[in-house]
Amino acid sequence: MLEALGLEYRYQHGKKIVFPEIEIKRGQRLLISGFSGCGKTTLLSLIAGALRLQSGYIKFDSANYSSMSSLLLDKHRADHIGYIFQTLNLIPFLSVSENIALGIRFSQSRKSKVADLNQEISRLVCSLGLEKDALNIPVSRLSVGQQQRVAVARALLGKPDLILADEPTSALDSDTTKKFLNEVMETFDSKKQAMIMVSHDASIAPFFDTVIDFNKQHA
Amino acid sequence: MLSLLLKSMRSRLIPTSLVTISLMASMVLLLSIERIQQGAEEGFNQSISGVDAIIGPRSSSIELVLYTVFHLGRPTNNITTKTVNDVKLRGDISWLVPIALGDSHKGFRVVATEPNYFEHIKYANGQPLVFSKGVAFAELSETVLGSDVAEKLSYRVGSKIQITHGSVESIGSKHDDFSFVVTGILNKTGTPIDRAIFLDLKGYELLHLGWKSGKKIFNLDDINLSSLPEDALIPKTVTAAFIGLKSKLTLFNFSKNIREYPKEAISAVIPGIALSELWSIVGLVDKGFQLLSWIIIAISLIAMVTLIIASLDNRKQEMTIYRANGASPKFLAMMVLCESLVIGLTAIVGAIILVTIVTYFATVQLNLALGISPSFKWISMGEIIVFSFILLAGALSSLIPAVMVFRKNLHQTLS
Repeated sequence: MLEALGLEYRYQHGKKIVFPEIEIKRGQRLLISGFSGCGKTTLLSLIAGALRLQSGYIKFDSANYSSMSSLLLDKHRADHIGYIFQTLNLIPFLSVSENIALGIRFSQSRKSKVADLNQEISRLVCSLGLEKDALNIPVSRLSVGQQQRVAVARALLGKPDLILADEPTSALDSDTTKKFLNEVMETFDSKKQAMIMVSHDASIAPFFDTVIDFNKQHA
Repeated sequence: MLSLLLKSMRSRLIPTSLVTISLMASMVLLLSIERIQQGAEEGFNQSISGVDAIIGPRSSSIELVLYTVFHLGRPTNNITTKTVNDVKLRGDISWLVPIALGDSHKGFRVVATEPNYFEHIKYANGQPLVFSKGVAFAELSETVLGSDVAEKLSYRVGSKIQITHGSVESIGSKHDDFSFVVTGILNKTGTPIDRAIFLDLKGYELLHLGWKSGKKIFNLDDINLSSLPEDALIPKTVTAAFIGLKSKLTLFNFSKNIREYPKEAISAVIPGIALSELWSIVGLVDKGFQLLSWIIIAISLIAMVTLIIASLDNRKQEMTIYRANGASPKFLAMMVLCESLVIGLTAIVGAIILVTIVTYFATVQLNLALGISPSFKWISMGEIIVFSFILLAGALSSLIPAVMVFRKNLHQTLS
């Protein structure tokens, strides 16, 4: 499904990172672990098409990132990728359900996978352990942990082929982390979807079938 | 998209309303300056009509128009009735209305004239003077009031008034030995006529029988009016005379002849020319106003762009999230364009409503000062152009945050 080979990235301040090869198939759950600042988020951004490739190539099914404009990449991401940002990136003045609906608002193909938007949102919200009553309150009134779940629900809505998650558990304690990951994995469709999560927390490795340790790769 | 837009604007209520208000304020300023200036010019040029020439003592034509038409300032000199009668005999004249100025009543100027004044003097493109109540004076003890005079002083037909010598009321200057009965009140004209009191020249002459050099020598009560000789009440001098010619073609010839009249130094003024001369002086102020309004447009545009860019950080985060979720540049551009349109249109509509109110009060002020009433209008072509210009500039400047969102790497703003 996704192949990333020979990726290298040079930051403006001169630091250069060489990324490991990544290949992922449908049904696969990949954890990339490593200490902060080792380039995990950069890697996810490259895979999401939010950052232009400098060298190497990424192939996502039939799409070749090197030959796509950033507009096409934006569209590709909206159609095929659910991105859970580390900084959540929720819109504070919209309600919980409006924020979740943003996930498919701009993608016809993901919209077509959702028969009843309200029903699907409540299903996701419930399976992620959020109260149904929370749907209509402004997202800014939620706790960080609850906001995290809203961000996840937005990424999962419309069953994107690939789920990218950037440190989604960083703000949670270890008990909540386990509960949260259980909930996320429950919504995961192993026939159609794949998942790449980056985290500095190696203790969550049992939830994944493949683990790439950035620290070891560099060593 | 609209609901998204409205929610987004509501979340930035204070900065958004500040932009709207400042934009509205500058538009109000711009519009009112333009309206007042246009209205003043219009009202100005409409203050007299139907009069082909004004003859008076030789002085500047502007001066003559100022006191005969606008009742401002005081006549420096008079012309003799003999001269007026000579002019009246000319074959090219259709009618002549003499006037004498100088007295007042509670701040309103008195115009002593003949009853045919109301027949010949017109205003605003030939509209005749109409009595809202009563009729023109027929006796020397009768008077006609302009509409403002009647309204401000609550006079009715039948009210009695006394006239003050000169234009300022002071002790001993009142013609308290003779009162006039109001026989008619004129309709509102929006010209200085509204603020004038009209009486018969003979009545005016009677008032001044006992006066010499501005001082009262004897009281009218002491003389028997019926014993006065017939010609005692025919004034020796008048201030000026309004003239209608049989044919406008003879106008220049007429004014040349008047200038060359051998027995007295008099001149004829053509109201249209004198008014535009007068306006060209006022017009200097007008040019200043125009410059001012362009400065205001520039400032309001700068203010709008500044405020939009100042709220950029807020916007940028929001737009980046839309983009991260796959929003197209077209969508984002539409968002910001719609917002600036909403702000711009709100400001314009608000400004027009406010200006309507401002114009109303300005009209009252202008009317008080000059006795002219500018006509009211909603919006002119020039204003539409200025507004579209402002809207366009606002829209373009609002695109700045949208463009920045697409030029920046999504990665940098999101993580």
